[in-house]
Amino acid sequence: MTFKESFEPDILGFLCNWCSYAGADLAGVSRFQYPPNIRIIRVMCSARVDPTIILEAFIRGLDGVMVLGCHLGDCHYMTGNYYTERRMKTSKNVLKSVGLSPERLLVDWVSASEGERFATLVKDFTERVRKLGSLGKETDLEPQQLRTRLTAAKEALAQERIRWLVGRERELVEDKNVFGEKVSQEEFDQLMLQTIKKEFAKIRILLSMEEDTLSVKEIAQEVEASPREVLRNMISLERDGLVSVVGIEGNSPKYRRTGV
Amino acid sequence: MEEKPKAVLIVGGGIAGIQAALDLGDMGIKVHLVERKPSIGGRMAQLDKTFPTNDCSICILAPKLADCFRHPNITLHTLSEVKEVMGQMGDFSVKLRKYARFVDEKKCVNCGDCAAKCPVKVPDEFDMELRKREAIYPYYLQGVPAVMTIDRENCLYLTREVCRICEKFCTREAIDFEQKDTDVMLNVGAIIVATGFDPYDPSGIPQYGYKRYRNVIISLEYERLICASGPTGGHLLRPSDDKPAEKIAFVQCVGSRDFKNNPYCSSVCCMHAIKEAILAYEHDPKVKSYIFYMDLRATGKGFQEYVARGEQEYNISYIRGRVAKITKDHDENPTVWYEETQSSKTKKMTTDLAVLATSLMPRRGVKELAKTLGVELDEYNFFKTDPFNPLDTTRPGIFVCGCCREPTDIPESVAQASGAAERAAETVMR
Amino acid sequence: MNEVRVGVFVCHCGTNIGGFLNVPGLAKYALRLPHVVFAKDNQYTCSEAGLTEIRNAIAENKLNRVVVASCTPRTHEPLFRSTCKEAGLNPYLFQFVNIRDQCSWVHMQDTERATEKAKALIRMGVARVVLLEPLEETQVEVNPCALVIGGGITGMTCTLSLANRDFEVKLVEKEDRLGGTLNTLYKLYPTHEEASKLVQAKAEELKKNPKIEVLTSSEVEEVKGFVGNYDITIRQGEKDRLFKAGVIIVATGAETLKPVDMYGYDGEHVITQLELEGRLKEGRLNANTVVMIQCIGSRNEKRAYCSKVCCLTALKNAVLIREANPDAQVFVLYRDMVTQGTIYEDYYGKARETGIMFIKYSPERQPVVEDGSVRIYDELLGEELILPYDLVVLSTPMVAHLDSADLAQRLKVPVDKYGFFLEAHVKLRPVDFATDGIFVCGCAHWPANVGESISQAYGAASRASIPMSVGHVKTEPSIAVVDEDECSGCGLCELTCPFKAIRIEETEKGRKAKVIAASCKGCGACGAGCPQKAITMRHFTDEQLLAQVIPLTEVTS
Repeated sequence: MTFKESFEPDILGFLCNWCSYAGADLAGVSRFQYPPNIRIIRVMCSARVDPTIILEAFIRGLDGVMVLGCHLGDCHYMTGNYYTERRMKTSKNVLKSVGLSPERLLVDWVSASEGERFATLVKDFTERVRKLGSLGKETDLEPQQLRTRLTAAKEALAQERIRWLVGRERELVEDKNVFGEKVSQEEFDQLMLQTIKKEFAKIRILLSMEEDTLSVKEIAQEVEASPREVLRNMISLERDGLVSVVGIEGNSPKYRRTGV
Repeated sequence: MEEKPKAVLIVGGGIAGIQAALDLGDMGIKVHLVERKPSIGGRMAQLDKTFPTNDCSICILAPKLADCFRHPNITLHTLSEVKEVMGQMGDFSVKLRKYARFVDEKKCVNCGDCAAKCPVKVPDEFDMELRKREAIYPYYLQGVPAVMTIDRENCLYLTREVCRICEKFCTREAIDFEQKDTDVMLNVGAIIVATGFDPYDPSGIPQYGYKRYRNVIISLEYERLICASGPTGGHLLRPSDDKPAEKIAFVQCVGSRDFKNNPYCSSVCCMHAIKEAILAYEHDPKVKSYIFYMDLRATGKGFQEYVARGEQEYNISYIRGRVAKITKDHDENPTVWYEETQSSKTKKMTTDLAVLATSLMPRRGVKELAKTLGVELDEYNFFKTDPFNPLDTTRPGIFVCGCCREPTDIPESVAQASGAAERAAETVMR
Repeated sequence: MNEVRVGVFVCHCGTNIGGFLNVPGLAKYALRLPHVVFAKDNQYTCSEAGLTEIRNAIAENKLNRVVVASCTPRTHEPLFRSTCKEAGLNPYLFQFVNIRDQCSWVHMQDTERATEKAKALIRMGVARVVLLEPLEETQVEVNPCALVIGGGITGMTCTLSLANRDFEVKLVEKEDRLGGTLNTLYKLYPTHEEASKLVQAKAEELKKNPKIEVLTSSEVEEVKGFVGNYDITIRQGEKDRLFKAGVIIVATGAETLKPVDMYGYDGEHVITQLELEGRLKEGRLNANTVVMIQCIGSRNEKRAYCSKVCCLTALKNAVLIREANPDAQVFVLYRDMVTQGTIYEDYYGKARETGIMFIKYSPERQPVVEDGSVRIYDELLGEELILPYDLVVLSTPMVAHLDSADLAQRLKVPVDKYGFFLEAHVKLRPVDFATDGIFVCGCAHWPANVGESISQAYGAASRASIPMSVGHVKTEPSIAVVDEDECSGCGLCELTCPFKAIRIEETEKGRKAKVIAASCKGCGACGAGCPQKAITMRHFTDEQLLAQVIPLTEVTS
């Protein structure tokens, strides 16, 4: 296998100042070698990594993203990495809903003394992404279609609903409410998946309507969903004041985005 | 009236000394932190993880090392020793001997080009002599100051006036064989002693076979073996044949609670043995550990739960019984002979590796240091204090904290260090 | 808007980088990047010569952004930032690019691709530096007055120490006199000095010190504010006292568990160690055979911890009983004898010599206290024994005060599952809370001996004195900033922050999040989770991070 012929993935790493970045430095000091595909961005805490930034990385065509923080319980900012864990879990689910392999996003924990482990993680991940192929290879989407979906996914992650749920997960699952009730992890995960699905669908619809006035059928074709699903979403969007009916074509209402 | 407070001298650059230095420095008081090794960090830098949270030791220590190094109020004197102390509380004159490193600390960038060429190989002290290092070496990779040091006892030039190859390969001209030991006089208002501990050498208990049997090691050696940045990259391999250890005996109270050696309890060994057994299991779930103890002392936050988890989740068996002797077979497998107190039977168990939890003792040279400082030691050579004035030595103005006072764990050492800093601050702010 | 003028310095670091990457080529490449007006390579950028070059280049080329591509920011960023500052450039307009530890040293076999990677990293660094904003460190004044809550031996020790350091101290005590738990104790191990004497000595010193105000029969009603600026309300009887403090130390101690419905406890023939202390103090102990049972109500499923002090307490009381009455028989029924260290192990040795009898039992076979005798399975003998008694003394653990959770809420600090106050970091910050400006020591933190409590008291005093000594607290410039127009007051940020550095407050615009600059560490956990994206993280804004992502897939020319 010659390097020139095999696919070289573009990998981005977000490393936290106190643990994983230090571990990467130690790999350097100890001369543990790894492939040069990865570019590292330093953050103070892995919890800084907003899921929307992960999506932006994929929109820009990166093939794999690593988010590495301190080991759970060791976070320099006490609880940051617990948030990282939950946010990245959601990010992976979002990638799945776009059609991409969630394996393109790696979340792991590397301490400042784990130089060799860092190098091994990078080596393994680079290989894994190489096997997955360039971004989107596992789907049958055109690059433009993939970008549209990713953009919708990023928007969904920027919206209140998903962000709110992600942030409250710990409280809902671990603490009891005033009635002594807890939400089980399975229930929560179900709720989260449903919410992602819904939000993603809504955003896709909104994005497809950028400038036009479109009928439900036209929208359905654009977003590859059934007209029935689309209609359900349109009603909800109308209620939220994001779209309005501006006419009828045959017996199909035509919608336009409000406030565009 | 608003005179600037005098500086404080801290003897010992382990976690206790470092904490005291940082507290005083942050208060605005000047600190001279003296450490006799080439780098600060002490015993905590040698540990892999710390109980009961299993935090990576060097990871939580390293930011403090960096803070000490950069702190505008802290002057680090590594490779230095206190030679003379005169005066009294509020006004001590201290003579410090700074030993030559033969490397210019301002020029060296720790690139390692010199060590790559040095022909000398000697046992490495930080890695408990489990590997060799060169005569020009970094004390440990994350050490501060981050510079190389030349070992004057083993350097070919310094002992026999030949070689100097390191100098030829250093592109920064950082090697300086002309350096001399110098004496520096300091004037300080208070002194804090934080010199830590040495592990007891179990060669004094010949029945345990230490140094004669390759697979009988002490806890600090185990820590280096299991540590990711240690001589085996964190793989628990038996010293005799590099095979993984799957059945491990942890022998407690080696040299402790022992009228022939140290009658006292070293406080932390119950907990660190459990930690070490847990780490072994985390590395390899095939590992089974046996801890041979007298009394299981687990008094801190989360300690009892740690003991229980050891048993429930990490394949540890606790056996109450003192180990009488250790023998070995031709494969260097240590056999542990013990009296199981609960059944009053004498039993034996053959294992792959025996780890001796050795007593924590005052450091080599502590008697001279006590004499220099003019303070009393107790009958075990720990710095003597009063139970209700626990941070004051017998000489006013000189305070003490950490394991040189009494064997204790890291949280206690840190609290005491802050406490000693407060006592020193009270003294110099008078 | 001023033109952005970036200077890039690429370091050879001797052969460490220069031996693997085409360093002069990297400098040439940097010069072609947008906004870069100056670029050069040097042998050792961190040397005096290198730093001088940076300073000169800033002046001569009117640079307003600097990028250094060399080793790692973790060691050298402060140095280069100071250099920029010296040259008149705001130190936060500096960007570090790691092309050694994370490039030349780890791709030694593939130098061509390593150089391409370095180009990408420099591209990323330049893209970010262009968007960086100048930031100023500000500071918040610290009131040089400490509030110490709890007037036991621990609280008294920190109060005295801080007063000796010339700080004002207000010591608040719930009871009508100082002394705390020591008021109920007789003699203290290992010296057997009387607890009351120790308390008296400290209390007198306290009274003499003009810097100290003691408020007995008082409780903390409300605490508002943040480090350096606390507004405290104390309730004393019917009145409220208000004052300001810079720091707070919690020294509220603990109480002893009353073994209600356990082991036949009746307060008369079956009593606690604390009640025994009372009897010894008053000289009304009439018992010839005493059976002490350790680990009552602790080291079990409900309360897993070991309370540390009970073994020594039992030993001490056993020794005192036999001192007063050499004919008395004392049995100590234990699971493990916990006498750690030098002094206490010594004490155990001496106690054994006084003729106390020790019987080891296991948790699977608990002792049974019957009328007049205790049935116990001796683990070492392997037999059941029946011990007749005049008195049974149960050694129960220290437990958190019933109102500790309440106080914790008022102070906005956490407690652990047993109600003991939870410190910032179990190993390295044992007397700090994660919330800046509040500290804890003694048994409020965890069961401790008198000696340990005193050490911790000095420790907490030291930590508390730091902000007061400096007089101000520096605020980290790269902190969270809330856009109040976007903020919906949902409170998720407040939930997320472990430092209580962002809180919801009532404003004229409604409930809004406010950042306590003095406490914010700039980690970004709140910002990355805000449902409204109303929080900006200075120096790590979304734009600044994205700027580093975007140039990654651009083709290198």
